[in-house]
Amino acid sequence: MANERKRGRGPLRLGVLGVLLIGCLLLTAIVGALALGDDDDTTPDAGNMIVYGLTLNPSGFDPHIHQSSELGIPFYSLYDTLVYRHPQTMEFVPGLAERWEMAEDGLSWTFNLKQNVRFHDGTAFNAAAVAANLDRIMDPDLGSQKARVLLDAYTGYEIVDPYTITLRLSQPYAPLLDVLSQVYLGIASPAALQANTNNSYQWHQVGTGPYKLDEFVPGSFIRLVRNEEYDWGPVFYAPVTDGSLDTIEFRFYIDPATRSLALESGELQVVGELLPTDAELLAGNVEVTVYQVPVPGTPQQFFFNTRHAPLDNVTVRQALIYGTNRTEIIDAVYQGRSPIAHGPLTSTVLHYDPEVEAMYPFDLDQARALLASQGLQDLDNNGILEFEGEPLELTMVFSSWNQMPDVAQLIQSQWRELGIDVELIQVPDFPSLRQRVRDDDYDVIAFYDFSVEPSLLNRFYLSGAVNNWSGLSDPQLDQTLYEAMRQTDPAARATLYSAAQQRIMEQAVVLPIREYVNLVGVSSDLDGVVFSAQGWWPLLRNFQYSG
Amino acid sequence: MLPFLARRAVMALAVVWLAASAAFFALRWAPGDALDATMARAGASEDQIAAQRAALGLDQPLPVQYARYWLDVARGRWGVSLVNGQPVTEVIAQNVRPTLTLALAALGIALALGVSLGVIDGLERPAGLRWAAGGLAALALAAPVYWTATLAIYALTVAVALFPGVGAEGPRAVLLPALVLGFHTAGSIARVTAASVRDAARGDFVRTARAKGLPDRDVVDHILRVGLLPVVSVAALQAGFLLGGTVITEMIFVRRGLGQVLLTAVTNRDYPVVQGLVVLSALVYTALNALADVLYQRLDPRTRREG
Repeated sequence: MANERKRGRGPLRLGVLGVLLIGCLLLTAIVGALALGDDDDTTPDAGNMIVYGLTLNPSGFDPHIHQSSELGIPFYSLYDTLVYRHPQTMEFVPGLAERWEMAEDGLSWTFNLKQNVRFHDGTAFNAAAVAANLDRIMDPDLGSQKARVLLDAYTGYEIVDPYTITLRLSQPYAPLLDVLSQVYLGIASPAALQANTNNSYQWHQVGTGPYKLDEFVPGSFIRLVRNEEYDWGPVFYAPVTDGSLDTIEFRFYIDPATRSLALESGELQVVGELLPTDAELLAGNVEVTVYQVPVPGTPQQFFFNTRHAPLDNVTVRQALIYGTNRTEIIDAVYQGRSPIAHGPLTSTVLHYDPEVEAMYPFDLDQARALLASQGLQDLDNNGILEFEGEPLELTMVFSSWNQMPDVAQLIQSQWRELGIDVELIQVPDFPSLRQRVRDDDYDVIAFYDFSVEPSLLNRFYLSGAVNNWSGLSDPQLDQTLYEAMRQTDPAARATLYSAAQQRIMEQAVVLPIREYVNLVGVSSDLDGVVFSAQGWWPLLRNFQYSG
Repeated sequence: MLPFLARRAVMALAVVWLAASAAFFALRWAPGDALDATMARAGASEDQIAAQRAALGLDQPLPVQYARYWLDVARGRWGVSLVNGQPVTEVIAQNVRPTLTLALAALGIALALGVSLGVIDGLERPAGLRWAAGGLAALALAAPVYWTATLAIYALTVAVALFPGVGAEGPRAVLLPALVLGFHTAGSIARVTAASVRDAARGDFVRTARAKGLPDRDVVDHILRVGLLPVVSVAALQAGFLLGGTVITEMIFVRRGLGQVLLTAVTNRDYPVVQGLVVLSALVYTALNALADVLYQRLDPRTRREG
């Protein structure tokens, strides 16, 4: 360091700013070199292509392992399932199984499989392939988060002949066909499973579906291309035409605000979960059509914590339902783009009982009268009711999904009319909600989930069930729900589920707000935009460019 | 030089240990765990969840988990994601390049813009632009990235399709996010530059130079030679922050990268992934700071030690 340098101008007479400029140019060159290496491999001959926006980047994409509904958006079209639910009739139709039959005791189901079905890697589909998939899902080392849970009463299988397999159950299990129709039970190529580790398989998935995986760059995109050999699809799949999609690229549009902008800039042709306000703005844009896709399941809802006073009192809970103006919420927050929810299931779920619709009309007087009848009165005239001498304050916990904070704020002001103070607590994610439940630190809490099968009620309302956040423990309801699980006769099931829905609403443990509607923005030159019976998953085979 | 490097290496290790330990305990102190984010959400029974929790070793007492973590790290094992079983090193390798591209591009823009604004503001010339430069720097500091980003996306990809839309791939896609992120990073660089240039311009050597009749151009050069020195430290500091700044930018601009990985991992309480990223940032941060110190000594003869 000791060498004395003369600080003279070099021959170039750069000056300090000049040196800085050169530094910046160098940096730019490095960035350029890095950016040029970015994957820019949109194949030029991609044919009919769309970019499809996913609304979250799930932490995993293996349908056998992971639980996100989002992964089904690409992979429902990559896999076939043994059976399918017809999106219009809701009946089961053949998928990879051409026929099936339940044993008389309900303890086993036999599936006759289609022949001449091939996986994308060219290997043949047969009973052994189904067996390999079931083995994989049940393997504790795989750590299946959903598929294994769904299979519930399943205990094992028996390969009768190369194209016949029998599944055994520990007890009759009515939801079995519904389970087998979901993407989580998609049948993967045993050869591909063999060739990969449990981790690496998700980047190299191989099924029998109408689209196959071309490339998956984690965090960046998933590209599917059409499976030209596909002719074993379910009846509701449209035949291939000139307008059918050859290539679909899925990208991750996690920030809701940019989804509609990407649609408008033409960067994106399909994206779900638009903000209701953006859907309103897009209504004026002829190049984009907004589809309102109902998603069956529970409504967007709040549970009342029945373990604490005063919500341990059913009359108080009923008063709160009467005192909630759901029409106002749906108009203000969702721009009117949703049906009001009245019960523990949406009207699109099987065996929905419309009787619940008349149970709790919005009625402030009724709400006030019920509260007064339970001794909740405003004795000091400060606008807030007193409960056992203390002003009544309820804690409402919710996360930021689906405009829930706006909903909570409206409820807060609506319940203020009844003389109830609501403290709003917004948590960032699901683990935080779970922690609140573990700590039993809430009066009202928001959670909901999706399924077309009414047995979805089990995890929310059976005594001690994992998402039974109301703390309800009702032997009568338990018995009804258990019986409905074992009952395979549809008419008898319908009766049981009617009873269950009414019982839940009589107990008033849930505050249903709205039936979930997915606002999907689609480029207007696309036709055949149809979704699966489960609501979330697009039937990409039916999407077509018009004209 | 060697003792200097050794000192730096020890410091880097200490920083990494502190950062990783803080992340380790902070994460476990946060409500819920990875099983809540996955199995509980999917409706698994408490028994199934408990079995999986045990299989992942999350039921062990904290000190045991902590010791196990460092033993693994000592053997070069950074763990696997609790949510999808992917090795942490693989997750990072898959996502590091897009983040590096964005961060470096933003740094370049921030330096160019920040120094220009700062010099204009500090030298007070051209006089008419001084307020504009100061105002722009203030805006860069005050406005949230979120706001500028959404505005830029609307104005420059939808209203006027100057840049590729959100989520586009390819080399051009980095431009708009880098501009936005660079603009915000430029704010503090401009502030520091302006203050330091203004100081230097009042220095005695400037008066001497002017008295000797040095041409204005050369006087400015003398001022900048001194006034721009702090840019080195502030740029290193900002480069460290840039890695964090990419979290929001990546999300809004639909870019792959470590920011997105971090966001998902935190939401899912995916401890090993978050810890891996924290260690990486700590390493980058200490390395940048060491680099800035070396550069500073090179550039400023006054800070060189004798010998």
